[in-house]
Amino acid sequence: MIELVDVSRTVTSGAGPLTILHPTSFTIARGTAVAITGPSGSGKSTLLGLLAGLDAPTTGRIRLDGTDITGLGEEQLARLRGRLVGIVFQFFHLLPSLTAFENVLVPLEIAGARDPARRARALLDDVGLTGRSDHYPSQLSGGEQQRVAIARALANDPPILLADEPTGNLDTATGRHVIDLLVAINRDRGRTLVLVTHDPALAVLADEVIGLRDGRVVERRVSAPAVEARA
Amino acid sequence: MTFVLRMAWRETRASWARLLFFFLCVALGVGSIVVLRSLVENVRVTLVGEARQLVGADIVVRSRQVLDSDARARLDETLSAVGYLARTEMVETQTMVVSADGRGTGATRLVEIRAVAPGFPFYGTIELDDGRPWAQGLLAGRGMFVTRALLVELGLTVGDAVRLGGETFRIAGVVSRDRVQRDGFAFGPRVYVALDDLRETPLLGFGGRATSTIMLQVAPEAVEETAEVLRGAISRDLALVRSWRSVEDRLGRNLTIAENHLSLVGFAVLVLGGIGVWSVTRIVVQQKIRSIAILKCLGATSRQVLSTYLLQMLVLAAAGSAIGLGLAAIAMLFVPSSLLEPLGVSRVGLTLSAAVQGTLVGLLVALLFSLVPLVEVRRVKPLLLLRADTAQTARRRDRYSVGATVVVVAALVAVAMWQAGSWRTGLYVSAGLVAVGWALTLAGRTLVRAVRPLARSRHFPLRHAVVSLGRPGNQTNVILLAVGLGCCFVLGVRAIQSNLLDEFAMQVGGEAPDLVLIDIQSDQVEGVAAAAAPHVSRPPVIVPLIRGRVTGAEGRQVRLPTREHLRREGHLLREYGMTARGALADNEQLLRGEFWTGPLTTPTTPEGFDTEVSIEQDVATEVGLEPGDVMRFEIAGRRLSARVTSVRQVVWGESQSGGFVFVLRPGPAVERLPQTHIGFVELARDQPDAQGLLQRALVASFPNVSVVDVGDVLRSIRAILDNVTLAVTLVGAVTLVGGVLILVGAVALTKFQRLYEAAIYRTLGASTRLLAAMVAIEYTVLGALAGTLGAAGAMGLSWAMSRHVFEIPWSPTPGLLAGGVIITALAVSVVGLISSLDVLVRKPLATLRRE
Repeated sequence: MIELVDVSRTVTSGAGPLTILHPTSFTIARGTAVAITGPSGSGKSTLLGLLAGLDAPTTGRIRLDGTDITGLGEEQLARLRGRLVGIVFQFFHLLPSLTAFENVLVPLEIAGARDPARRARALLDDVGLTGRSDHYPSQLSGGEQQRVAIARALANDPPILLADEPTGNLDTATGRHVIDLLVAINRDRGRTLVLVTHDPALAVLADEVIGLRDGRVVERRVSAPAVEARA
Repeated sequence: MTFVLRMAWRETRASWARLLFFFLCVALGVGSIVVLRSLVENVRVTLVGEARQLVGADIVVRSRQVLDSDARARLDETLSAVGYLARTEMVETQTMVVSADGRGTGATRLVEIRAVAPGFPFYGTIELDDGRPWAQGLLAGRGMFVTRALLVELGLTVGDAVRLGGETFRIAGVVSRDRVQRDGFAFGPRVYVALDDLRETPLLGFGGRATSTIMLQVAPEAVEETAEVLRGAISRDLALVRSWRSVEDRLGRNLTIAENHLSLVGFAVLVLGGIGVWSVTRIVVQQKIRSIAILKCLGATSRQVLSTYLLQMLVLAAAGSAIGLGLAAIAMLFVPSSLLEPLGVSRVGLTLSAAVQGTLVGLLVALLFSLVPLVEVRRVKPLLLLRADTAQTARRRDRYSVGATVVVVAALVAVAMWQAGSWRTGLYVSAGLVAVGWALTLAGRTLVRAVRPLARSRHFPLRHAVVSLGRPGNQTNVILLAVGLGCCFVLGVRAIQSNLLDEFAMQVGGEAPDLVLIDIQSDQVEGVAAAAAPHVSRPPVIVPLIRGRVTGAEGRQVRLPTREHLRREGHLLREYGMTARGALADNEQLLRGEFWTGPLTTPTTPEGFDTEVSIEQDVATEVGLEPGDVMRFEIAGRRLSARVTSVRQVVWGESQSGGFVFVLRPGPAVERLPQTHIGFVELARDQPDAQGLLQRALVASFPNVSVVDVGDVLRSIRAILDNVTLAVTLVGAVTLVGGVLILVGAVALTKFQRLYEAAIYRTLGASTRLLAAMVAIEYTVLGALAGTLGAAGAMGLSWAMSRHVFEIPWSPTPGLLAGGVIITALAVSVVGLISSLDVLVRKPLATLRRE
């Protein structure tokens, strides 16, 4: 479960303080898929960064699975991310000097998992990259890279999966595959999925949609398919 | 931990080729340290282990003068009181030898005679080339052992007769290996005769130049005790007492100092490599910012990431050190045997302690230099993966990086102290390195700023080159530092050598005498002048030579009444050769006081002193002596008091008749002093064999007079100088190679950026030729700046060394320095072009796609 209480984010820019996220409160129940939508500069990525513990809120509190992350230091946050949160980025952000297999292996090794190699291989199998595990990122297509990134995000079996415009850098068909994969993970494995996108077509796949504009939540609705599925 | 290990391995796998250049710099430093330390340790093993053999006795009592009977009797009394098992003696002096019956080449040669008494030596061996063991009996009947070189020079063989000191000796054998008491500078080849035979010649006249050594054998457990008692009983001015253990200690200490100082040279090279490591680590961190952010996103803590990269640097440093060891091993194969043969070292190899020390220092330096930039890893925020604008963290110094800098600097100073074996030297060297680095960096920045107006040039490649010097992530400072320093060493040493050679050439060609005649007795002065007359271009200058020590100096500013006071202050301790004459010489100028106008006619001066003395200005300034002050001397046991009446300036370089620190006023007291005369001869230019004729004439009539060929001495000084120059040039060359490696590494490191830029230039229509011109001009400018920096440093270095160390006039050697700048500019440009070949030939599309 993700809980936000009066969370805001203000940065100091050349022109003085600039609030990029106004005080916001909401709760995301365990296992749901939530899409955060909005135009460029609406505060989507800021919100995601706060949820991932990559940035600290100016005010308010954030709780991930019952842990208040607001007062934690960098090192504690890093450990917490390794355990609770998997992140998928628009630009994939694979480690260029590592093979696909090693990229998936890294979070397992950081967490000190047992038999990391077997798990990494299984994850690559799951995303359909069995034959590509020894390739370097530069030898993979965009879609393949994003699938490696998803496998990596799932490595430690985190309860929360955050995705920042995961299809933003992919063509429509490949993007569709990636989204199907993410939604399947949410449905089949019961992972909480927070998806940042400005694509309304993707947003409809989520259980809930949170619409942002100018740093404020302007819309919160349960999407139709979710209602149907729950019914 | 496994994560850190594995990640370090993966990172190393991906980037070792690019980073290795920098660790080759570490390798050079490690190699230098290991080679230098190993060499000294090889010498140490050979020398220190055999100290007793080298000394030849348990205790030696060495006196640098022929003692009068009084002093001898006192010495003998002390020795008998102390007690010993056995005693022998040797006396060393120089004289001329020539064939006795006109056989051979007819050459005359100055030799070092060692006259030995039965029993010599107690320890150690002297080997004869026919395999016979050394035996005193072989010298019986005026026998003489010589070196092979002397035989060849004289054109004689064993059994031939030679004249030495007016007597005929027979060549009885050839010494092939002699390691007994081989310290000090030798005027010529060494020959052995029996002491009793030498005593029958006039060579050991009172006041003559000879060293006499009494050698004692005592019970092993009593060596130190006996030596200590003797030291207490025998005045240091009369004779020096040394035991083989004290010699061993001193040798060991000196070698340790030599080893430590030499390894500092290696340390300096290593620090240069360290600067390369620092600069590359900084760039690596910049290039790895995204990877670091990803790792943090995946749950890695800063400590884990820092450990990963630190470990990677360590692995590379270990590889660099290993390569350094390999280089050192190869270098040892090429150490010329002639370098160490005189020390009795026949075979050299790497020593374990040198290898361990070198490797440790290499690892430490690499680790320390990479630590400061790596601390930046902590500041990388994973948020930058979502928002690129957070990537540039403000470059303020936080307490961690300040702390790391302090720790690193302290640790480096500690390493310098460890290597120097002295905290003071270590501190000086560290301060020196910081000062030089600072100065070069500052000068580099000034130069870069000075050429900045060229950025407005119409010539596109030139404009680009100048702008490139200041591009983000540029290596300008490091390259300037590294190449400039190497260049400075090489040019500086060359400039110093050139200045020294100029000075010698001036002395040889111009004013210096051709020959110096030494040990002329007072009653031989006229005879020698007459014998020389047919072979000289002007009458020889023959002046008295009085060897003595200063035993006191008192006046308005100084109060050093005894030798002990002088010793405490460290003033005037050596033995001085003084002369007595009635007027100033051509190369002298009166500064203060009055110079006497003729000999003293009364027994004493009006103030009651034995005579008057004139002092050279540097010595006067050092001690604080002025006209009116009083000095006391001891000449072969006799005392002489003298009032200082003048201070002179002596132009040492323009000496035709020598230069003297102390000149005494002739008079009754001075005449009574034991003295010899020294003659300065300018040979007749129209006689082809004037030197040979003169030498033969002198040996025939005045066998005790030795002839020193000034040209010979200058030649041997030049040979020594050449060796020193070679050694220092090699160190400079190593630094220069380090500079080039840093250059190649810097090009390799910024290659991705360059590839990208080149691709964009190509899409904008630039030809390969234009790109090559851009690269060539960029590196030529860089090389020219580095060369200018090095040349300026070299000028400063040679000026300081010439004026303050060698005390010779300095000239700027502009041709050499200009040549150095041009060669450096060309070399850097060629290296830059070769390293950039890949950038020049790569197809633009491939590069742009990858981006």
